[in-house]
Amino acid sequence: MNRDELTIEELGDELRALREAPSEEFAAKLDAHAAEGFPRRPGPEGSIASLPGHVAERLRGSGVRRRLLPALAGATTVIVVATAVVVSVGSDGDSATPTNLSGTSDAGDAAETAGAGQAGSAGGEAEALAPDESRVANGAEGGSAALEGGPTALPAPSQMTVPPPVPGPGPGTAPGAHNRQVERSAELTLGTDPERVQDVAAKTIDVVGRYRGIVLSSSTRDGAEGAAGANFELLIPSARLSPALADLSEIADVRSRNENTLDITAPFISARERLRDARAEAEGLLRQLAEADTVAERNSVKGQLEIVRGRIAAFRAQVQRLERRADFSRVSLQIVSGEATVFPGPSDDEWSIGDALHDAGRVLAVAAGIALVAAAVMLPLGLLAGAGWAGRRVYLRRAREQTLSA
Amino acid sequence: MKAPGGRSKGVDQTISAPASDAPSSADLAFEELYRSSRDDVYAYVTGMLRDRSAAEEVTAAAFEKAFRKRRRFDAGRGSARAWLFGIARNAAIDELRRHKRRAELTAEPADTTVAAPHTIAEHSTRRATVAAGLAQLAPRERELVAMKFFAGLSNAEIAAVLGISESNAGTTLHRVITKLREACT
Repeated sequence: MNRDELTIEELGDELRALREAPSEEFAAKLDAHAAEGFPRRPGPEGSIASLPGHVAERLRGSGVRRRLLPALAGATTVIVVATAVVVSVGSDGDSATPTNLSGTSDAGDAAETAGAGQAGSAGGEAEALAPDESRVANGAEGGSAALEGGPTALPAPSQMTVPPPVPGPGPGTAPGAHNRQVERSAELTLGTDPERVQDVAAKTIDVVGRYRGIVLSSSTRDGAEGAAGANFELLIPSARLSPALADLSEIADVRSRNENTLDITAPFISARERLRDARAEAEGLLRQLAEADTVAERNSVKGQLEIVRGRIAAFRAQVQRLERRADFSRVSLQIVSGEATVFPGPSDDEWSIGDALHDAGRVLAVAAGIALVAAAVMLPLGLLAGAGWAGRRVYLRRAREQTLSA
Repeated sequence: MKAPGGRSKGVDQTISAPASDAPSSADLAFEELYRSSRDDVYAYVTGMLRDRSAAEEVTAAAFEKAFRKRRRFDAGRGSARAWLFGIARNAAIDELRRHKRRAELTAEPADTTVAAPHTIAEHSTRRATVAAGLAQLAPRERELVAMKFFAGLSNAEIAAVLGISESNAGTTLHRVITKLREACT
């Protein structure tokens, strides 16, 4: 055959004649498969299996794989999100620990000394410790109290977080430490069964009475687990705070305990000096009054004396307030039931619009938090999956082109 | 109780079928596509693979895949036939890749029952020569011939399947035909 013998049309005809037609058997099975809507039934009775063996095997394999992939992806997503949420919640709980639980440690004691020393060395010119500084001292005060107070009912060591050691002030940096005025306060949360809340509340009152303390306010509520509880605002003589806290801690399980100290030596000394100066001024005015010759002069001195006496009264009240703050420690005691960590407080048992808004806000905040965590987890995974998918497409395209080029 | 005005009288039951039972337009379109393209797809795939057994396998897989994706077909991006042949093409090439891997691993002999010269020879010597020339073409060239003469695709449809311009498809096809003619001389 030469080129002239085969025209393009003839070549086309010959090629069309070479076209393969499907066998009747295959065509019938494919038609039946199509009529059933190409069902994916992996069982041997399925229509896929009715196709030739190699065809059924291929279809079955691909179907199973496609069904498993979304399930695996879904399960992975759920696991990742759940893990993120658990980790998030867990880390929140951990971060709350140092503020709720005060450890017993020498380092804590050193921190208290440091805080006190700084204020004491200021010679009364310094104001009260800044909040952060007072908290540093706080963490340690519990430890100091525990060391002084003998038996305590602090949480087990495994539950406590030991604050980092704070460098000590060194010898001689806290002169007259025994004269310092220190305000102490404590927060104590006790856990018990709902039916024992009243009993624990009564024992609390007993302890307060035994240590000659004062119940400033109290509220108790019966109810189910989590709802039942009590709140106490107490004043305990500072000199007996540690043993009182120890006794209170023995009433029920200690959920958290936090003790704070605030050195008020500086404002105390300052107020006392101002009081002394005012008294001296008043004495001077009294002498002037005694020596006054005229009525006008006497009236003038009396007016000044009146003012100074007013200032004396104010300074005296200030000194007394500071003394009371130093003499009595404020203790906020919470009794919670069940697994609760916070007593919700006295309830009016009515769910108001405000409560609804508050709850809605909480729900939205939690939902937004979860969505944020989920997004933080899913975004990189999604990007990775997208990159993988795109990469696979590129790879497949190249591999197919290579196959045709081979 | 008096029946409200306008209500049909004497109707005591209605016959209804769930909407989901009614075939959607995508189902109907796919059915039409299947009927019109079944043999063409098989012929194209057979021309690509030169293996009836593998062609049956790939044809079934391609239709099943197309059926599952039928609702995602976008008419704005090309004809349904081009879309279907795109799926079949990928399935056929993937089968070629698998076959190549299997051949590399087991040195399995290729199925030469299709378009083999000795089976065609009884029909005509010229046809056998054309078949022999076709077998000598590269896969990419043979694919073009299969699309044009076995599946009956237009140049525009070939261009859509391959993702090239129509003029490019025509030029390439002409070059392949010329080469095949030369091989047949």
